[in-house]
Amino acid sequence: MAALALLPAAGEAIYFRDKISWRSAIAPSEIVTAEQARGWGDTAIWVDARQDDEFANDHVPGAISLNEDRWNELLPQFLAVWAPGKKIIVYCSSLSCNASREVAHRLRKEAQLSDVFVLEGGWEAWLKNNR
Amino acid sequence: MNETSNVQRPTLNVESSASVTTSTIKHQKSYIFWRIIDFVLAGIFIFAGLTKILDLDRLIADLQQIQFVSALADLRNLSLASPAEFASGIDNFKIVPWPVSVALAFYLPWLEIFSALGLVFRFLYRGALAILSASIVVFTLAIIAAKVRGLDITCGCFGHASQHWSFPAHLATNLAILVALLALFFAHARKRGIRQQ
Repeated sequence: MAALALLPAAGEAIYFRDKISWRSAIAPSEIVTAEQARGWGDTAIWVDARQDDEFANDHVPGAISLNEDRWNELLPQFLAVWAPGKKIIVYCSSLSCNASREVAHRLRKEAQLSDVFVLEGGWEAWLKNNR
Repeated sequence: MNETSNVQRPTLNVESSASVTTSTIKHQKSYIFWRIIDFVLAGIFIFAGLTKILDLDRLIADLQQIQFVSALADLRNLSLASPAEFASGIDNFKIVPWPVSVALAFYLPWLEIFSALGLVFRFLYRGALAILSASIVVFTLAIIAAKVRGLDITCGCFGHASQHWSFPAHLATNLAILVALLALFFAHARKRGIRQQ
Protein backbone atom coordinates (compact mmCIF):
# COMPACT_ATOMS: atom_id res chain seq x y z
CA MET A 1 0.00 0.00 0.00
CA ALA A 2 2.70 2.42 1.11
CA ALA A 3 4.83 1.49 -1.90
CA LEU A 4 1.87 1.79 -4.29
CA ALA A 5 1.24 5.36 -3.16
CA LEU A 6 4.83 6.26 -4.05
CA LEU A 7 4.17 5.94 -7.77
CA PRO A 8 1.54 8.69 -8.26
CA ALA A 9 3.36 10.82 -5.67
CA ALA A 10 6.55 10.61 -7.70
CA GLY A 11 4.60 11.44 -10.86
CA GLU A 12 3.09 14.48 -9.18
CA ALA A 13 6.50 15.59 -7.90
CA ILE A 14 7.86 15.44 -11.45
CA TYR A 15 4.82 17.33 -12.81
CA PHE A 16 5.21 20.12 -10.22
CA ARG A 17 9.03 20.22 -10.31
CA ASP A 18 9.11 23.84 -11.52
CA LYS A 19 6.19 25.04 -9.41
CA ILE A 20 7.34 24.23 -5.90
CA SER A 21 10.65 24.88 -4.22
CA TRP A 22 12.24 22.07 -2.20
CA ARG A 23 14.53 24.58 -0.47
CA SER A 24 12.17 27.20 0.84
CA ALA A 25 8.46 27.42 1.66
CA ILE A 26 8.15 30.37 -0.68
CA ALA A 27 9.19 30.16 -4.31
CA PRO A 28 12.34 32.28 -4.86
CA SER A 29 10.44 34.45 -7.34
CA GLU A 30 7.99 35.41 -4.57
CA ILE A 31 10.57 36.51 -1.99
CA VAL A 32 12.01 39.98 -1.76
CA THR A 33 14.85 41.10 0.47
CA ALA A 34 14.60 44.25 2.59
CA GLU A 35 17.25 45.88 0.42
CA GLN A 36 15.45 45.08 -2.85
CA ALA A 37 12.16 46.26 -1.35
CA ARG A 38 13.70 49.60 -0.39
CA GLY A 39 14.79 50.03 -3.99
CA TRP A 40 11.19 49.73 -5.19
CA GLY A 41 10.26 52.93 -3.32
CA ASP A 42 6.76 54.24 -4.00
CA THR A 43 5.97 51.59 -6.57
CA ALA A 44 5.32 49.15 -3.75
CA ILE A 45 2.60 48.87 -1.09
CA TRP A 46 3.61 47.43 2.27
CA VAL A 47 1.20 45.01 3.92
CA ASP A 48 1.57 44.16 7.60
CA ALA A 49 0.26 40.63 8.24
CA ARG A 50 0.93 40.71 11.99
CA GLN A 51 -1.69 40.98 14.74
CA ASP A 52 -3.37 44.35 15.39
CA ASP A 53 -1.45 45.04 18.62
CA GLU A 54 1.93 44.44 16.93
CA PHE A 55 0.91 46.73 14.06
CA ALA A 56 -0.25 49.40 16.51
CA ASN A 57 3.07 49.15 18.35
CA ASP A 58 5.19 49.84 15.28
CA HIS A 59 5.19 49.15 11.55
CA VAL A 60 6.85 49.99 8.24
CA PRO A 61 5.92 53.62 7.41
CA GLY A 62 2.87 53.67 5.14
CA ALA A 63 2.13 49.98 5.67
CA ILE A 64 -1.46 48.78 5.68
CA SER A 65 -2.62 46.24 8.23
CA LEU A 66 -4.09 43.10 6.69
CA ASN A 67 -4.17 40.03 8.90
CA GLU A 68 -6.14 36.81 8.69
CA ASP A 69 -8.09 37.46 11.90
CA ARG A 70 -9.84 40.49 10.41
CA TRP A 71 -9.42 39.58 6.74
CA ASN A 72 -12.96 40.43 5.58
CA GLU A 73 -12.86 43.77 7.37
CA LEU A 74 -9.35 44.83 6.32
CA LEU A 75 -9.26 43.60 2.72
CA PRO A 76 -11.58 46.34 1.37
CA GLN A 77 -9.41 48.97 3.10
CA PHE A 78 -6.34 47.53 1.42
CA LEU A 79 -8.02 47.31 -2.00
CA ALA A 80 -9.00 50.98 -1.71
CA VAL A 81 -5.32 51.88 -1.53
CA TRP A 82 -4.06 49.36 -4.06
CA ALA A 83 -3.57 50.41 -7.67
CA PRO A 84 -2.84 48.21 -10.72
CA GLY A 85 0.88 47.85 -11.43
CA LYS A 86 1.89 48.35 -7.82
CA LYS A 87 3.98 45.68 -6.16
CA ILE A 88 2.73 44.31 -2.85
CA ILE A 89 5.22 43.43 -0.12
CA VAL A 90 3.78 41.38 2.74
CA TYR A 91 5.65 40.96 6.00
CA CYS A 92 5.16 39.38 9.41
CA SER A 93 7.33 39.41 12.52
CA SER A 94 10.37 37.29 11.60
CA LEU A 95 11.85 34.62 9.39
CA SER A 96 9.91 31.85 11.15
CA CYS A 97 6.40 33.33 10.95
CA ASN A 98 3.80 32.10 8.47
CA ALA A 99 1.33 34.97 8.45
CA SER A 100 2.98 36.82 5.53
CA ARG A 101 3.00 33.66 3.45
CA GLU A 102 -0.67 33.00 4.19
CA VAL A 103 -1.74 36.58 3.48
CA ALA A 104 0.31 36.67 0.26
CA HIS A 105 -1.30 33.41 -0.81
CA ARG A 106 -4.80 34.71 -0.11
CA LEU A 107 -4.12 37.96 -1.95
CA ARG A 108 -3.07 35.97 -5.01
CA LYS A 109 -5.87 33.44 -4.80
CA GLU A 110 -8.86 35.28 -3.37
CA ALA A 111 -8.17 38.85 -4.49
CA GLN A 112 -6.61 37.63 -7.77
CA LEU A 113 -3.68 40.03 -7.39
CA SER A 114 -0.29 39.50 -8.99
CA ASP A 115 3.10 40.94 -8.02
CA VAL A 116 2.67 39.87 -4.40
CA PHE A 117 5.96 39.32 -2.57
CA VAL A 118 6.94 38.14 0.90
CA LEU A 119 9.61 40.09 2.74
CA GLU A 120 12.47 37.78 3.66
CA GLY A 121 13.08 37.93 7.40
CA GLY A 122 9.93 39.98 8.00
CA TRP A 123 9.74 42.95 10.35
CA GLU A 124 13.04 42.00 12.05
CA ALA A 125 14.89 42.16 8.73
CA TRP A 126 13.29 45.50 7.85
CA LEU A 127 14.28 46.95 11.22
CA LYS A 128 17.85 45.73 10.78
CA ASN A 129 18.04 47.32 7.34
CA ASN A 130 16.40 50.64 8.15
CA ARG A 131 17.32 51.63 11.69
CA MET B 1 -40.63 -45.40 22.62
CA ASN B 2 -39.38 -45.54 19.11
CA GLU B 3 -42.32 -43.53 17.94
CA THR B 4 -41.65 -40.86 20.56
CA SER B 5 -38.05 -40.45 19.52
CA ASN B 6 -39.11 -40.32 15.90
CA VAL B 7 -41.50 -37.53 16.72
CA GLN B 8 -38.91 -35.55 18.67
CA ARG B 9 -36.14 -35.74 16.06
CA PRO B 10 -37.73 -33.40 13.47
CA THR B 11 -38.46 -30.87 16.23
CA LEU B 12 -34.79 -30.81 17.17
CA ASN B 13 -33.83 -30.33 13.51
CA VAL B 14 -36.20 -27.43 13.17
CA GLU B 15 -34.76 -25.80 16.30
CA SER B 16 -31.18 -26.27 15.14
CA SER B 17 -31.89 -24.98 11.64
CA ALA B 18 -33.72 -22.00 13.15
CA SER B 19 -30.71 -21.22 15.32
CA VAL B 20 -28.41 -21.53 12.27
CA THR B 21 -30.66 -19.13 10.35
CA THR B 22 -30.69 -16.65 13.25
CA SER B 23 -26.91 -16.86 13.50
CA THR B 24 -26.55 -16.34 9.73
CA ILE B 25 -28.83 -13.30 9.84
CA LYS B 26 -26.87 -11.92 12.80
CA HIS B 27 -23.63 -12.57 10.94
CA GLN B 28 -24.95 -10.86 7.81
CA LYS B 29 -26.18 -7.88 9.81
CA SER B 30 -22.82 -7.52 11.51
CA TYR B 31 -21.04 -7.87 8.14
CA ILE B 32 -23.22 -5.14 6.61
CA PHE B 33 -22.58 -2.91 9.64
CA TRP B 34 -18.79 -3.23 9.37
CA ARG B 35 -18.91 -2.75 5.61
CA ILE B 36 -20.83 0.50 6.14
CA ILE B 37 -18.12 1.66 8.57
CA ASP B 38 -15.50 0.64 5.96
CA PHE B 39 -17.22 2.74 3.30
CA VAL B 40 -17.78 5.76 5.56
CA LEU B 41 -14.12 5.82 6.65
CA ALA B 42 -12.93 5.20 3.10
CA GLY B 43 -15.11 8.09 1.93
CA ILE B 44 -13.62 10.40 4.56
CA PHE B 45 -10.04 9.50 3.62
CA ILE B 46 -10.68 9.61 -0.13
CA PHE B 47 -12.26 13.05 0.29
CA ALA B 48 -9.34 14.17 2.47
CA GLY B 49 -6.84 12.92 -0.12
CA LEU B 50 -8.67 14.43 -3.09
CA THR B 51 -8.97 17.88 -1.47
CA LYS B 52 -5.17 17.95 -1.37
CA ILE B 53 -4.63 16.67 -4.91
CA LEU B 54 -7.42 18.51 -6.73
CA ASP B 55 -8.57 22.09 -6.45
CA LEU B 56 -12.05 21.36 -5.08
CA ASP B 57 -12.68 24.67 -3.30
CA ARG B 58 -15.16 26.05 -5.85
CA LEU B 59 -16.92 22.71 -6.26
CA ILE B 60 -17.37 22.33 -2.50
CA ALA B 61 -18.55 25.94 -2.16
CA ASP B 62 -21.13 25.42 -4.93
CA LEU B 63 -22.31 22.15 -3.40
CA GLN B 64 -22.66 23.84 -0.01
CA GLN B 65 -24.83 26.53 -1.63
CA ILE B 66 -26.81 23.81 -3.49
CA GLN B 67 -25.82 25.22 -6.89
CA PHE B 68 -25.63 21.99 -8.84
CA VAL B 69 -25.35 23.55 -12.31
CA SER B 70 -22.28 25.54 -11.25
CA ALA B 71 -20.95 22.43 -9.50
CA LEU B 72 -21.15 20.50 -12.78
CA ALA B 73 -19.25 23.30 -14.53
CA ASP B 74 -16.64 23.17 -11.72
CA LEU B 75 -16.31 19.42 -12.23
CA ARG B 76 -15.53 19.98 -15.91
CA ASN B 77 -12.90 22.60 -15.05
CA LEU B 78 -11.26 20.63 -12.26
CA SER B 79 -7.53 21.22 -11.95
CA LEU B 80 -4.70 19.92 -9.77
CA ALA B 81 -4.21 21.71 -6.46
CA SER B 82 -0.84 23.21 -5.73
CA PRO B 83 1.06 20.88 -3.37
CA ALA B 84 2.66 24.01 -1.90
CA GLU B 85 -0.56 24.69 -0.02
CA PHE B 86 -0.57 21.35 1.80
CA ALA B 87 3.21 21.51 2.26
CA SER B 88 2.68 24.88 4.00
CA GLY B 89 0.04 23.24 6.18
CA ILE B 90 2.53 20.56 7.25
CA ASP B 91 5.27 23.13 7.67
CA ASN B 92 3.03 25.15 10.01
CA PHE B 93 3.40 22.38 12.60
CA LYS B 94 7.15 23.14 12.74
CA ILE B 95 7.97 19.48 13.24
CA VAL B 96 9.76 18.57 10.02
CA PRO B 97 12.00 20.66 7.75
CA TRP B 98 10.53 22.16 4.56
CA PRO B 99 11.88 19.52 2.10
CA VAL B 100 10.23 16.79 4.19
CA SER B 101 6.97 18.80 4.22
CA VAL B 102 7.10 18.93 0.42
CA ALA B 103 7.76 15.18 0.15
CA LEU B 104 4.88 14.46 2.55
CA ALA B 105 2.61 16.83 0.64
CA PHE B 106 3.15 14.73 -2.48
CA TYR B 107 2.97 11.38 -0.72
CA LEU B 108 0.33 11.56 2.07
CA PRO B 109 -2.75 12.30 -0.09
CA TRP B 110 -2.04 9.25 -2.27
CA LEU B 111 -1.33 7.12 0.78
CA GLU B 112 -4.72 8.15 2.20
CA ILE B 113 -6.50 7.33 -1.06
CA PHE B 114 -4.80 3.97 -1.60
CA SER B 115 -5.36 2.92 2.01
CA ALA B 116 -9.01 3.98 1.75
CA LEU B 117 -9.37 1.88 -1.40
CA GLY B 118 -7.86 -0.98 0.60
CA LEU B 119 -10.80 -0.64 3.00
CA VAL B 120 -13.34 -0.59 0.18
CA PHE B 121 -11.96 -3.62 -1.67
CA ARG B 122 -10.67 -5.38 1.45
CA PHE B 123 -7.29 -5.54 -0.26
CA LEU B 124 -4.29 -5.55 2.13
CA TYR B 125 -6.98 -4.71 4.65
CA ARG B 126 -5.01 -4.90 7.90
CA GLY B 127 -2.15 -2.93 6.37
CA ALA B 128 -4.58 -0.23 5.22
CA LEU B 129 -6.14 -0.03 8.69
CA ALA B 130 -2.71 0.13 10.31
CA ILE B 131 -1.55 2.95 7.99
CA LEU B 132 -4.71 5.00 8.49
CA SER B 133 -4.68 4.49 12.27
CA ALA B 134 -1.00 5.42 12.48
CA SER B 135 -1.51 8.55 10.37
CA ILE B 136 -4.45 9.65 12.55
CA VAL B 137 -2.43 9.06 15.74
CA VAL B 138 0.56 11.01 14.38
CA PHE B 139 -1.65 13.85 13.20
CA THR B 140 -3.50 14.01 16.54
CA LEU B 141 -0.21 14.14 18.44
CA ALA B 142 0.99 16.84 16.03
CA ILE B 143 -2.04 19.08 16.62
CA ILE B 144 -1.75 18.59 20.38
CA ALA B 145 1.97 19.48 20.21
CA ALA B 146 1.15 22.53 18.08
CA LYS B 147 -1.48 23.64 20.57
CA VAL B 148 0.89 23.19 23.51
CA ARG B 149 3.57 25.20 21.67
CA GLY B 150 1.05 27.94 20.94
CA LEU B 151 1.22 27.53 17.16
CA ASP B 152 -1.73 28.76 15.15
CA ILE B 153 -2.18 25.88 12.73
CA THR B 154 -4.23 25.72 9.58
CA CYS B 155 -3.94 22.04 8.74
CA GLY B 156 -6.04 21.88 5.57
CA CYS B 157 -6.66 18.21 6.32
CA PHE B 158 -10.00 18.41 4.53
CA GLY B 159 -9.08 21.30 2.27
CA HIS B 160 -10.68 24.65 2.98
CA ALA B 161 -13.60 22.88 4.67
CA SER B 162 -11.44 22.30 7.75
CA GLN B 163 -9.38 25.48 7.57
CA HIS B 164 -11.21 27.25 10.36
CA TRP B 165 -11.91 24.26 12.56
CA SER B 166 -11.16 24.80 16.20
CA PHE B 167 -8.71 22.67 18.17
CA PRO B 168 -11.50 20.69 19.95
CA ALA B 169 -13.22 20.08 16.59
CA HIS B 170 -9.98 18.70 15.14
CA LEU B 171 -9.42 16.55 18.18
CA ALA B 172 -12.98 15.21 18.32
CA THR B 173 -12.99 14.34 14.60
CA ASN B 174 -9.66 12.55 14.84
CA LEU B 175 -10.65 10.59 17.92
CA ALA B 176 -13.93 9.51 16.34
CA ILE B 177 -12.08 8.33 13.22
CA LEU B 178 -9.48 6.54 15.35
CA VAL B 179 -12.16 4.76 17.40
CA ALA B 180 -13.90 3.62 14.20
CA LEU B 181 -10.59 2.39 12.72
CA LEU B 182 -9.73 0.46 15.88
CA ALA B 183 -13.22 -1.04 15.99
CA LEU B 184 -12.75 -2.27 12.41
CA PHE B 185 -9.36 -3.67 13.33
CA PHE B 186 -10.72 -5.65 16.27
CA ALA B 187 -13.83 -6.81 14.40
CA HIS B 188 -11.59 -8.09 11.60
CA ALA B 189 -9.23 -9.82 14.05
CA ARG B 190 -12.20 -11.43 15.84
CA LYS B 191 -13.64 -12.67 12.56
CA ARG B 192 -10.30 -14.19 11.58
CA GLY B 193 -10.08 -15.85 15.00
CA ILE B 194 -13.53 -17.41 14.59
CA ARG B 195 -12.68 -18.66 11.10
CA GLN B 196 -9.44 -20.24 12.30
CA GLN B 197 -11.32 -22.05 15.10
